[in-house]
Amino acid sequence: MQLTPDQDIILRLGEFGLNATIVNTWIVMALLVGGSVLVTRNLCPDVPPNRWRTLLETIVQMIQSQIGEITQTSARHVMYFAGTLFLFIALSNLLLVVPGFAPPTSSLSTTVALAISVLCAVPLFGIASGGLGRYLRHFIEPSAVMLPFNIISEFSRGISLAIRLYGNIMSGAVIAAILLGVAPFFFPVVMDMLGLLTGLIQAYIFAILATVYISSATADPPPPSPPEDAP
Amino acid sequence: MSIDWITVIAQIANFLVLVWLLKRFLYKPILNGIDARETEIARRMGEAGAAREEAEAAEKSFHARMAQLQADRDAAVAKALKATEEERAALLAETHTRLAREQRELHVHMEQERQKFLARLQQAGAQTLVALTRKALRELADETLEAAMVRQVLGQLAARADELAQAAGSDTTALVTTRAPLPEDLQAQLHRETDRHLPGFDLRFATNAVQSPGLILQVGGAQLSWTVDSYTDELTTLLDERLAAEASGRGDTPHAG
Repeated sequence: MQLTPDQDIILRLGEFGLNATIVNTWIVMALLVGGSVLVTRNLCPDVPPNRWRTLLETIVQMIQSQIGEITQTSARHVMYFAGTLFLFIALSNLLLVVPGFAPPTSSLSTTVALAISVLCAVPLFGIASGGLGRYLRHFIEPSAVMLPFNIISEFSRGISLAIRLYGNIMSGAVIAAILLGVAPFFFPVVMDMLGLLTGLIQAYIFAILATVYISSATADPPPPSPPEDAP
Repeated sequence: MSIDWITVIAQIANFLVLVWLLKRFLYKPILNGIDARETEIARRMGEAGAAREEAEAAEKSFHARMAQLQADRDAAVAKALKATEEERAALLAETHTRLAREQRELHVHMEQERQKFLARLQQAGAQTLVALTRKALRELADETLEAAMVRQVLGQLAARADELAQAAGSDTTALVTTRAPLPEDLQAQLHRETDRHLPGFDLRFATNAVQSPGLILQVGGAQLSWTVDSYTDELTTLLDERLAAEASGRGDTPHAG
C-alpha cells in the first residue's frame, strides 16, 4: 500500500520520473481552468448569467467575502492566491471519491509545496504592502528578544499547514483503503463521504490560515501607547 | 513518508501557474463581469430613477394642466351661465315689453274697432230708428216724420223765442238744416211760425248730407233741434252697459217689455 502518490511513477523521462502527484495535479488544474474557460468565454454584461456562471460567481464572491472579512480590505491579489489555494485543495480532496484517483493533496510533497508557497507569499505580500523595513521590524516586536521566537513561529506555521493538510487527506485515503479490505462496501462509502466533508473543511482551513498570515503581515501596526507618568 | 523535492518544486510551479491561469480565466472575467453588471444595473437604476423623476414631473405637469383646464372650464361655464342668464333676462324683458306693447296695440285696436262698430251701430240704429219712426207715424198718425220734426221744433221755438232773440244779437238770420230738402208746405209753416215768434228774422233752408237725421234751427249762437242722435246715443249707452255686463261675467240679461 502506497502512502503517497509520489512513488507511483507514470512516465519516466530519462532520470526524471513523472509521478501520479504531478499528473493528478495537472488533471485538477485542467478541470479548474477548463471549467473556467467554458463558463467565462462569452461573458456579456447585458446577458443574464446561466447556472454555471452563477455557480462560479457565487463561489468567487463567497471567497471574496471571506477574505474581505479577514483582511478588511478588497485586495484582489490576496484573493487570487488564497482563492486558488482553496479551489485547488477543495477539488483535489473532492476527487478522492473517484476510484483510482489519488488526490495530490495526499502527497506530502504537494502540501509542502503549498506551505512553502504560503511561507513565500506572506513576506512578499508584507513587503509589497508596507516595505521591507516594516516587514522585518515585526520580527522584533514587541522586543528584540522575541526575534528567534518569531522566526520559529514563522516557519512552524508552514510546517503545521503542510502536516495538517497532508495528515488529514492521507489518513482519510488510508483509512478508506483499510476499511475497503475489512468491509468492502458500507464503511468505505461512509468514510469517503466523511472524507469529502473533511476535505472541504481542510481546504477552507488552509486558505483561511494563509489569508490570516498574509493579513497579519500586511496589517498596519497598532499605534504606540502613550507613556505612563512616573509615580 | 518522504518528501520528493523535485515534486515539491514542480508542485510550486504548478501552483503558481494555476494562480495565473485562474486569475486570467476565472477571477478577472467573473469579477469584471460582476462589476460590469453592477455598473449596468447602476446605470439602469439611474435611468429608471431619471425616468421616474421625468414621469413624476410629467404627472405633476399633467395635474397642473388638468387643474388649469378645470378652472378654465369652470370659468367658461360660469361665464356662459352668466351670459345665458343675462340673455334670458334681456329676452324676457324684451318679451314683456313687446307683450305690453302688443297688448296696448291690441287694446287700441279693439277700442278703435269698438268705436267703428259703435259708429256703424249708431248710424244703422239712426237709419232704422228713422225708418221705424217714419213708418209708425204714417201708420198710426197718418203723419210724416218731417212734419213731426217741424212740429217738435216749433214747439221748442214757442217756448224759447226770447232766449233765441237775445242769443242772435244783431244777426237776424235763422238757418234750418236737414239731411234732405223739406217739403214746401213744411217750409211755409216754418216761415209763418218764425215770423210770428221771431219777427224780422230771415229764415233760410239748407241740407247737410252728413248731419244726423232730424232738423236743426240755428239762430246766432243758439239752436233748436230734434235729431235721432239722442235716441241712438241712448241705444249705444244701453248696448255698452249690456256688453260690459257680459264681459264682467255678470250675465245680466235684458228683461222683455
